Amino acid sequence: MKLEVQLESTSGSKTRAVELHRDAERFLITLDGQTVNADAIEISPNTISVILDGHSFVIHVTPSLDGKLKLQCGPHEFSAKIIDPRVWRGRQQGALEAEGRQQIVAPMPGKVIRLLVAAGDNVEAGQGLVVMEAMKMQNEIKSPKSGKVERLLAKEGESVNAGDILAWVE
Amino acid sequence: MFKKILIANRGEIAVRILRACRELGIKNVAVFSDVDRTAPHVRLADEAYCIGPAASRESYLRIDKLIDVARRTGCDAVHPGYGFLAENPALPRACSEAGITFIGPSAEAMEAMGAKTSGKQLARRAGVPTVPGTDEAIENPEEVQALARSMGYPILLKAVAGGGGKGMRIVAEDAAFAGAWRDAASEALNSFGDSRLFLEKYLIGPRHIEVQVFADAHGRVVSLGERECSIQRRYQKVIEEAPSPVVTPELRKKMGDAAVRLARAGRYTNAGTVEFLVDADRNFYFLEVNARLQVEHPVTEQVTGLDLVKLQIAIAAGHRLPFAWEAITPRGHAMEVRLYAEDPDNKFFPSPGKVLSRHAPTGPGIRLDEGVYEGYTVPLEYDPLLSKLIAWGNSREETIARLRRALDEYTITGIRTNVSLFRRILAEPEFLQGEFHTKWLDELLAQPSPPAIPPREGTEDASAIAAALWHTARANSAANASQDSSGAPSRWKSEGRRQQLDRTP
Repeated sequence: MKLEVQLESTSGSKTRAVELHRDAERFLITLDGQTVNADAIEISPNTISVILDGHSFVIHVTPSLDGKLKLQCGPHEFSAKIIDPRVWRGRQQGALEAEGRQQIVAPMPGKVIRLLVAAGDNVEAGQGLVVMEAMKMQNEIKSPKSGKVERLLAKEGESVNAGDILAWVE
Repeated sequence: MFKKILIANRGEIAVRILRACRELGIKNVAVFSDVDRTAPHVRLADEAYCIGPAASRESYLRIDKLIDVARRTGCDAVHPGYGFLAENPALPRACSEAGITFIGPSAEAMEAMGAKTSGKQLARRAGVPTVPGTDEAIENPEEVQALARSMGYPILLKAVAGGGGKGMRIVAEDAAFAGAWRDAASEALNSFGDSRLFLEKYLIGPRHIEVQVFADAHGRVVSLGERECSIQRRYQKVIEEAPSPVVTPELRKKMGDAAVRLARAGRYTNAGTVEFLVDADRNFYFLEVNARLQVEHPVTEQVTGLDLVKLQIAIAAGHRLPFAWEAITPRGHAMEVRLYAEDPDNKFFPSPGKVLSRHAPTGPGIRLDEGVYEGYTVPLEYDPLLSKLIAWGNSREETIARLRRALDEYTITGIRTNVSLFRRILAEPEFLQGEFHTKWLDELLAQPSPPAIPPREGTEDASAIAAALWHTARANSAANASQDSSGAPSRWKSEGRRQQLDRTP
């Protein structure tokens, strides 16, 4: 089976072509068209041991909500998107954002403790908009840009989930 | 000795206390809130009782419920752990009214020493140097602001009932005063149920070094040496070690004597910690007393060979400190890192959630005091401390090497942890030389992170292969599963149909 793996890390993005052919107990593996001397095995759920040219690696795989895989290899982390020709997937929804308008989302689940601005207020970049509390620590959610608070969706005392929209700054 | 102990806490410290009870052959009772049904301390306890909803004010902070459980289950002692009610004198009072022993200081000693302002007054009387500031909580913010102006900024606002950096704000200038007061008071109210604050002059570049004391009920007070706790992020300790790289035997003796003097003056019993700020000239100033077991107690255990929790239990049961420990000196070196469920790449925001997998480090010189397991969901309602990883060795260098090795072995997936923070600190030359102060970490984090160490050759190839293998295994098993469901009929369904048909009219 031939797969494309789009690997992303802090140092950039790369697309690798990986082919896996089952041969008795192990896989024959080619990487970008080259056969590699690699032995890969899932040693426990989501933990994969790879011996590549005699070098041993352990990779922890965590699927994330956006369909990508998070890969942890020691201190190094990658995000991987798999393109599998056998599986038809709907197009990834494009996260298009209106020019200049910023959506402020809750970075964690928690509770809105205080609103520091009102809809219609003019704010500076870095100015606090909302105070959130999670795990007993209070944190200010700051405006990423100077502008006007177009809509304020957060309400005092309300519980929010990570990713919930708190405000729009135009 | 006690027959049964109620543990009025949760998380790793509840587990720590349970283990001490087990080793002493004492039965133990855990309590938990609705969201903690699956917490490790519940699984490990002999008995466990739900005491209410997730909000700690309605569960872990409810003295009436705790005493009720202790009575119903026949507990003869209560251990408060740290945090929650550990420093609230109302708990020892309620215990004594119920005829139950509180494992900790008396309510009076707690009031005299534990509250930050009265501790300071006591320190002055005992001849222990203190940092300039207000001795009492001041209700009126304008009054405090006037005092701050006369003392000169920067100043610190601190919660009277505080600890762990909650309800604390540094104020650098007059304009920031009002906002800092409001935030600190509201945080203090939420965390401790007490919004009172006091004011202190802020020393620039001090170290935070604390002394562990133990006092029995028969008048013996000993010091078990110091812990260096200067590595803090926003007043929250993240790395602690013993001994301190800057404390000489002479300074250790002086600080230990001062701590013992203070404990005597406060008629203190059981475990306590006297915190000091130490300036560049190695002058020390009394900061506060923590009238409880500390989070970082394991580093003292590793260099003294003592079990502080068992010692607390023995002292509460009326035992004497077994021998003259006036001359105790640390052996080797120990260091602890506090692993939190928080995301260092996203301003350290808490990152609760489900632990998908967990690989714990083992081997020489490694101890893990943990409150999580694979499959556990870290609730968002409480402190995000997951576990404390402790290393010890013959020297500071060996200890750091072991800690690094153990951090490489330790993997948690599913939630973010601050493990990368420790990798960074443990590589900093100043840290390795022992040259730091309480703001050192905040200053380090204000700088751009160093370029990531390039991965070992083959890491990317291996990761791509792993991702492909993972995907293939899932795709195949999904295909098999869908075949299964269309192929073999469900036995549950056919059994259900058979029972329907068998029913006699």
